[in-house]
Amino acid sequence: MTGEPDAGPVGAVRTALPAEAPADAVDGVVEADHPVADDGTPWSRLAPRMIAVDLARTLLSLSPTAVAVGVFGVEASWSSLWPLLALGAFGVVGAVLDAVRWAVTRYRVTDEYVERRSGLLVRRYRSVRRDRIRSVDTTARLRHRLSGLRVVLVGAGQQVAAGESALTLDAVSRRDAERLRAVLLDRVADSPSAADDGVRVLARFRPWWVVYNMVSIWSFVTAAGLLWGAYWLLTGFGLDPVGWVEAMLPWDRLGRVGTVLVGLLLVLVVGAVGMAASYLATSWGLELARVPGEAGTHLRTRQGLLTTREVNRDDRRLRGVTVSEPVLWRWMGMADTSVITTGLSVWASSQPAAVLPRGPASVAWPVARAVLDADPDPVGAPLVRHARGALRRRLWWATATSLAVTAVLAWLASTEVLPAWAPWGGAVLWPVALLAAVVAYRALGHAVVGDYVVLRSGLAARATTALRRDAVSTIALRESLLQRRLGLRSVAAMTSAGWGRYDAPDIAADEALRFAVAAAPGLLEPFLVGAPEGPGVSGPRGAAPGDPSPGAR
Amino acid sequence: MDPTPPVPHDLSPPRDVPLRLRPPRHRVDPRARRWWLLRALASAGAVTVVIGVVWWLWEPARPWLTAPLVLAALWTAARAVVEPRVRYAVHRWEATDLAVYGLTGWLVREWRVAPLSRVQTVDAVRGPLEQALGLATLRVTTASSSGAISIRGLDADLAAELAERLTAVTEQTPGDAT
Repeated sequence: MTGEPDAGPVGAVRTALPAEAPADAVDGVVEADHPVADDGTPWSRLAPRMIAVDLARTLLSLSPTAVAVGVFGVEASWSSLWPLLALGAFGVVGAVLDAVRWAVTRYRVTDEYVERRSGLLVRRYRSVRRDRIRSVDTTARLRHRLSGLRVVLVGAGQQVAAGESALTLDAVSRRDAERLRAVLLDRVADSPSAADDGVRVLARFRPWWVVYNMVSIWSFVTAAGLLWGAYWLLTGFGLDPVGWVEAMLPWDRLGRVGTVLVGLLLVLVVGAVGMAASYLATSWGLELARVPGEAGTHLRTRQGLLTTREVNRDDRRLRGVTVSEPVLWRWMGMADTSVITTGLSVWASSQPAAVLPRGPASVAWPVARAVLDADPDPVGAPLVRHARGALRRRLWWATATSLAVTAVLAWLASTEVLPAWAPWGGAVLWPVALLAAVVAYRALGHAVVGDYVVLRSGLAARATTALRRDAVSTIALRESLLQRRLGLRSVAAMTSAGWGRYDAPDIAADEALRFAVAAAPGLLEPFLVGAPEGPGVSGPRGAAPGDPSPGAR
Repeated sequence: MDPTPPVPHDLSPPRDVPLRLRPPRHRVDPRARRWWLLRALASAGAVTVVIGVVWWLWEPARPWLTAPLVLAALWTAARAVVEPRVRYAVHRWEATDLAVYGLTGWLVREWRVAPLSRVQTVDAVRGPLEQALGLATLRVTTASSSGAISIRGLDADLAAELAERLTAVTEQTPGDAT
């Protein structure tokens, strides 16, 4: 049970990369029923220790049933034990499949490719061209950590964009994982200390940030999951959690409102505890650092208590940052920090856009500044406030929405579908909507600072985005009927990174055009009045250039 | 961060020079008016007919269905009479060696410019109604999922020819368009 035999193929390879790619290769990743090229490099297995881990998993997943029968004296019948047996069966099947996967999987690193062979009945070969490899990340679940194993995720080309790895090796020993990483990223394998040179740490884990991560809309979901799981497990052991809760408080005397309030409080507390545990487990030991790579620098995050993960984001793909401050929490100084990178889905779980957990704004802003590392600094730059018309538009919409809701409620009340006081609900909505309009207006801002365009907007979450100007592809100006009356226009900057679209709503019409021209350098200039005429590619055939209407047919 | 104008590092064009965006050069095909009319009848008109049929057949629903029916009828009338004229007056397009520029919209106007260096695909798309009228839509997509420009209501031959020419231009542009 050692990882030594695996060292051969990984250690042996270190050469120049070939030039041409097979025609059918999409981003250097090929899935086929035969190896792409065979140069006789020996194949190696995944870590044999996996078998021991699978054996332990089998025993562990059967233990709840054993405990229920042996310790709690639950009657050994199908009807009383099925949840635990289902859990056990799930674990055993998973472990057996894992062992089979170990038996049929081989991998090797050749001069050109990283290859993996797998499949029990149908043999599949998956290969990734080494020159297309963009990232080599390692993760480890608890069972991997306890047994010194690592999962290696090789990312290449567009596969990274889809949020999936081009090739996964689950799992190899820690030494092999490190060696693979070093070889595939073309670094010297045996000098880990050299790799630490020039590492600049931007942020580190702070346990007290847990207070920022305890309460959110997800805490209700977390609480629901935890409570349901606990109920299911306890009834499986023949216990009666419903009875405990009923005996805990004199529910009859609380009345309906009291019961709901106590229940809500209980759920919130359970949810907060769950969220806190989840934060500590995922973010423990977080370190955000800029590290030098073989071509340019990476943003590297390492985090995790039970499951560790390391994510490397190529700085060449960095297009900007977003600092998002949710309403209400904003006044507690809370902010989310995320990066805008190309070739990454916003929903990708393997490389999440968020580089920091939710934390204090006093940390988020300097980190965002350090991530961009631009001069002049776009993150802290003062923003231009938007025209008063933007406030009027929001107040107008708040009033119109409240009126519409009130009208519908009044109509429903008049037909006696709703009680007679229902229209007052719409009336109460009005001041709230007006307040929201003011908050949303105050969130607006924009600026052009150095190489970056900065846009800020958002009611529920005020998002301040600094985006590279040369990353803006499409630029759009919008003007609704109401906006035209108020002399406003919205600017949208489209880019291939992040959410793909970043808005600066309701800028005064002249300023909007000026901002759009500056945000997308060189793009709008040819279409300004007074701009020199460029050669046109196109036009209706036969129509003279400058003739706007070809005429009716 | 309180805004304290004047803003440092503001690289926008100088404020004293008034900027004006000129509309794109070319109008869409006049047959597009008929296409917009048919589209309005097929969507808003169909909804109105359904509500009308329910109103006519199901008597108890009339008290609360009258208002939606009137609103739907008014909306259909606006879409059928006003929308095609306004759209034909507004919609314009232009394509140069460097960019595609489109002006669209009826109630909400939108000016969109995409540089050809970032364009990924150029297609001439024809829906069933467009096929019947001999029209096509030129769809220009960029690496950004929301950055696409659609020029609707072009003559089918013109759209196909444009797609070919623009594809040729984008193929000459180096880079991966991101």
